[in-house]
Amino acid sequence: MNPILEVNDLSVRFGNFPALDHVSFTIEKQEIIAVIGPNGSGKTTLLKAILGLIPYDGEIKIFGKNIQQVLPLLGYVPQHFAFDKTFPLTVEEFINLTCRKPDKLPFGGALLAAGMAALKDKLIGELSGGQLQRALIAHAMLHQPKILFLDEATSGIDIEGLADFYSTIQRLNREHGVTVMMVSHEISMVYKFTDRIICLNRDLISHGETKTALTKEVLKKLYGDTADLKVHNHQGSAP
Amino acid sequence: MIELLQLPFMQRALIAGVVLGVLLAYLGIFVTLRRMAFFSDGIAHAALAGAAIGLLTRFSPLLSALIFSMFLAGLIYWLEKKSSLSSDSIIGILFTSGMALGIILISLRRGYQPELIGYLFGNILAIRRQDLILIVVLSLLIMAFILSQKRKLTLLALDREMAYMAGINPDFYQLLLYIMLAAALVLGIRVLGIILVSAILIIPVSTARLSSRSFKSLVLWTVLISEGVMIGGLLLSYYLNLPSGAVIVLTGSTIFALAFGASGLRRRRQKK
Repeated sequence: MNPILEVNDLSVRFGNFPALDHVSFTIEKQEIIAVIGPNGSGKTTLLKAILGLIPYDGEIKIFGKNIQQVLPLLGYVPQHFAFDKTFPLTVEEFINLTCRKPDKLPFGGALLAAGMAALKDKLIGELSGGQLQRALIAHAMLHQPKILFLDEATSGIDIEGLADFYSTIQRLNREHGVTVMMVSHEISMVYKFTDRIICLNRDLISHGETKTALTKEVLKKLYGDTADLKVHNHQGSAP
Repeated sequence: MIELLQLPFMQRALIAGVVLGVLLAYLGIFVTLRRMAFFSDGIAHAALAGAAIGLLTRFSPLLSALIFSMFLAGLIYWLEKKSSLSSDSIIGILFTSGMALGIILISLRRGYQPELIGYLFGNILAIRRQDLILIVVLSLLIMAFILSQKRKLTLLALDREMAYMAGINPDFYQLLLYIMLAAALVLGIRVLGIILVSAILIIPVSTARLSSRSFKSLVLWTVLISEGVMIGGLLLSYYLNLPSGAVIVLTGSTIFALAFGASGLRRRRQKK
């Protein structure tokens, strides 16, 4: 099978600081891929480089093409939504900024019906962390992307909402065929819900199928002595 | 009142006030959303050099200020991209340099400069026919562009990365917003003056935000408040025989203070 995303010898520097160092990997269609690593390991930088949001050295091909040629096929939920939360903008107006008739789209309509419709008149700034994440994902899904990039998208979601969030991602992947690449810190959730994993600490520590690549040794290499704290035996599935 | 409206200078003042009231208020929404108040203030102040070049060379001061400010907006954009300096530092350097150049150029002209005072503090009642034509034509062109690109400009103002992912070229639209804002500010200088023009960008939208529950209502209230402030302030300044720019700004800040008090009372009542 042809890879849909190819990253070859990717390096990113911020001044003299190497944020990513000669990283290479490929991603197949319809996978859920997690990018994990400690703070400052280059996870967000990797996503931003793939999306063409920052300059880089190396080669990145999506569907064999440059990012600018395939932008409409990609969805992105950023780590921080930079906008002023006190600004009066309803959920419906926010969705309409990207798509005038979201209910006409099979994806957008389905997602809105799944929970956003009830919130359509609410102000974006008044949404809870989980509701805001859902609005951002609905927003990112409006153009029916083939690949969805999520950068720590669960940061505003409470523990109860986490499993629900990962189930939604799994449904998007299994039912709608969306490839999902997500930066995450929830190792147990990653172990349970993702197909492949990319372990970063500025350079590539490990990558491959989650169940085989995510070993205790790799976690120790990434997080040092704190690894044990990261590895919960959530439902008996993590190493 | 009817007699007043028949006076040609008052007709010109009202037309300029109404047209600029819509334009500056609408741009103010993007200015507050992107936190560009300092950019607006800086461009307006630096426009003094452009107006001074016009006065010295006997070219239209309004037109020369317009060209100078649009060039400066482009320069700020370029320096933001090419240097590691913060946007505030770049604006601060160019704003004070523009003002300083303006002061030196003006000092080269001898005697009292009534036109200069008009540019510093605004004089809506002294707007000439050719100025009015320039204000109306340019304002309509900028408004037409903003309305046709409203969705893109709003998304860019909300979040640059999100705009990029929606297929919008953020650099191109940011440069356009800078240049249009610079042009609108210089047109507004004729009414409110270099020192006060940014008030009409900030006050109407800040007042409207206190009670708006959607973007649509924010736009509507911002424009209505701006028009009320412009027309009300202008008529007040005529009857009180006070400088028009200052009266317009104080009318706006009084309305803001009342709205702020009312929204505070409403919030306290809702808490009970």
